[in-house]
Amino acid sequence: MVKSALALAVLTGLFASPALAQDLPKLTIYTYDGFAAEWGPGPGLKAGFEATCGCEVSWVAADSSIGTLRRVQLEGDATEADIIVGLDTAIAGEARATGLFADHGLTLTDLALPGEWTDTQFVPFDYAHFAMMYDTDTMTTPPTSFEELIALPEDIKITIQDPRSSTPGFGLVLWIKAAYGDRAKDIWAGLKPHILTVTRDWSESYDLFLSGEADMTLSYTTSPSYHIIEDGDDTIKAALFTEGHYPQIEVAGVLKSSDQQELAKQFLAYLVSADGQQIIPHTNWMFPVTDLGDKLDPAFAALPQPEKTLGFSDDEIAAHGREWIDEMLAAIQ
Amino acid sequence: MLTLPNRRIRIAAAITLAAAIAILIALVFWAILAAATEGSVGSRVDIPHLLRMTSIQAGLTTILSLLVGAALAWAMNRLRFPGRDLVVGLFASAIVTPGMVVAFGLLSIWGRNGWINRASEALFGFPLGNPAFGLSGILLAHVVLDGAFAARIMLARLDAIPSARLKTGQSLGLSPWQRFTLLDWPALRGTVPGLAAIIFLLAFTSFPIVLMLGGGPANQTLEVAIYAAVLQDFDLVGAVYLAATQITVCSLVILAASALAPIPTSFGASVAPRWRDAGLARALQIVVLGLGLIGFVLPLLSVLLDGFSSGMDRIIARPEFWWAAASSLLIGSASALLTLALALTLALGRGATGSGPLRTLLGMPAFAYLAVPAVVLSLGFFLLVRQVGLAPSAAAPFVVVIANSLLALPFAMATLGPPLEAIARTRGKLIRSLGLSGWRQFISVEYPLLGRDVGVMLALAFCFSLGDLGVIALFGTQDFQTLPLMMFRALGSYRGNDAAAIAAILLLGTIVAFLALPKLFERLAHAAR
Repeated sequence: MVKSALALAVLTGLFASPALAQDLPKLTIYTYDGFAAEWGPGPGLKAGFEATCGCEVSWVAADSSIGTLRRVQLEGDATEADIIVGLDTAIAGEARATGLFADHGLTLTDLALPGEWTDTQFVPFDYAHFAMMYDTDTMTTPPTSFEELIALPEDIKITIQDPRSSTPGFGLVLWIKAAYGDRAKDIWAGLKPHILTVTRDWSESYDLFLSGEADMTLSYTTSPSYHIIEDGDDTIKAALFTEGHYPQIEVAGVLKSSDQQELAKQFLAYLVSADGQQIIPHTNWMFPVTDLGDKLDPAFAALPQPEKTLGFSDDEIAAHGREWIDEMLAAIQ
Repeated sequence: MLTLPNRRIRIAAAITLAAAIAILIALVFWAILAAATEGSVGSRVDIPHLLRMTSIQAGLTTILSLLVGAALAWAMNRLRFPGRDLVVGLFASAIVTPGMVVAFGLLSIWGRNGWINRASEALFGFPLGNPAFGLSGILLAHVVLDGAFAARIMLARLDAIPSARLKTGQSLGLSPWQRFTLLDWPALRGTVPGLAAIIFLLAFTSFPIVLMLGGGPANQTLEVAIYAAVLQDFDLVGAVYLAATQITVCSLVILAASALAPIPTSFGASVAPRWRDAGLARALQIVVLGLGLIGFVLPLLSVLLDGFSSGMDRIIARPEFWWAAASSLLIGSASALLTLALALTLALGRGATGSGPLRTLLGMPAFAYLAVPAVVLSLGFFLLVRQVGLAPSAAAPFVVVIANSLLALPFAMATLGPPLEAIARTRGKLIRSLGLSGWRQFISVEYPLLGRDVGVMLALAFCFSLGDLGVIALFGTQDFQTLPLMMFRALGSYRGNDAAAIAAILLLGTIVAFLALPKLFERLAHAAR
């Protein structure tokens, strides 16, 4: 016991946050862990903003983006968070309904987003469309719609994510519903024989695809750019579907309870500025929301984009999201 | 008639600890219910269906794992070959390696694009098929994880059969079958209830593996519904209700395991004389070992190969990696020592009493923790830490240490429990007649005999705490990163190569711990004598 007490004492010393004696105001931002990781956008955004703000940015990473929202809900007004970065449009409606978020007060008119941005509380900072990925080495002619995918031989396998535990998993439910409405059930039933498995997280599905266990997987139109830039591999591609694609737009919002309202809004402004946006593509592997011109890596700029963007309003998702998940689960059970 | 030394302090300490664990779990639930606002109980969960599917899966996993484990332990006990220690170390390392790593290792052997199918395609021109998904896939992965662990624990008991018994058996000319039923089985029997409970609980609550290899929502565990209730629906009452359902079912299993009558096992030096089985039995042992090597060692080998062929230099050049490694070592050591203290307290108390109900009561809390869904624990600990007024990020390392120790506790009990009981029952009379104090009993009798088992237990607990971080999911961990956390973060950001390298390092560390710690403690214990 003495030994373990000693070990614990050492632990405290090692992990206690270093007391910073500086009097700089502190901006605490909750996010998901991939965002704050050393290869994610977190460190770059922190350095960039701290260079001008005269403040200290502190990232607090929960294991998922929905986890950040739930944590703030549990903490209520006592939360340390000034900002949440990394919610997306599929849960924005629910986040808004908590009444915890303040208006951002920014003018967001010339964004390079699919569609107009009218949200007064959440600021978009990156986006990509959901898409089925394929490998040109093993699939020469990818399907161009869900119906074509369904018509392929049954040994063509796909991996998708559980909509109850994964953001893209829920995105696929919304995508198929937006594209097919009442026929969504039939599309799911048609996909069933192709579904190798439904994983908890995106990473497991994607790994199954990369290791050759599945022919296609649900990911983003921007996923190929990672392989082009980091591995010099241009064989991973997103299949474009004629029925259109559903986008994931990641957003940030300031909490009403924050006592750093001004600073927090400055951060959001920095996040959508050219300086902030330039950090996003290479670190979060999503499109920037402002037009970066030639500063956008060709590996992104040259990616094919869907012709049609599908969408639901917050209210529609809040009212029917759960029902659509149930429909999907029942159809592939 | 049993003669146990009168050890009131041991029993009192064990009762206190068992009660403390039970109270902690109750507090977790209380904290969640206190935080819950109005919530509707999730209607979308078909509980009877999920329970039925999960029970079938967990039941099959348990039976298969025990059978495979016993067969492997039997073969390994008889055979001596170069690298045997390494194989023994590998067996135990499967269960503490993060489940997803093992699952991907399995796929690289058995999957559509795995070694076996590619070999078959090269040799015969067609693939053999894909057994890695669906119920067969889940069972395969679980048996690799749990069967190898069972083999490790059972082998320790077989290796501890006193040489005098073996000599007698040999001189009586026992057939291999008689040898198994008369000598081996009595030694193995004591481990079965504890192992069965652990394996059942692990399989019952296994979330990512079941979801990934299960092939769809038909094969699911309650955990996914609980996860959805907590995070997606934020239906905390519903989550507690589902968690309570899971705990109730698991408790039946735990109760059965803890209540089984104590079985006196023999106990002695671990040096077995050379007594080979002859003929058919020996051939069978070699076959079992060969299959075991293919089934258990190949997937792990592929993890190592994969990791060392990709991105290893990139990973070890990162300062973050070394910080994460240091954190992991510290967390692992602290958890291992805490687990040792908890397990000894419970197991000594349990061994000191002959009362059935009391033994059951002392056994249950150790397992109960395993039955509580990880996401519920995470939420409950987060709320508790806040209630106490601590900053979650500062409390995170301590919570990880406590949570991981509790998680490793049933495994530690399965390792230390049977030998301690055996000592109490075979040496009880002697200890009484010598009038040894409890402390002298521990130092002069129990510790020297336990040395190797303590080493195995420390290795288990150490590696376990390398593998689990789910409990601090909500805590916010900007400066605090361990190797598995780093691995999962890498996986979630396309960095599969980095993740593979970290997985290989974790696995290597695990194997080294399992090779070194039992030897080290055996030596220490002998020195203490």
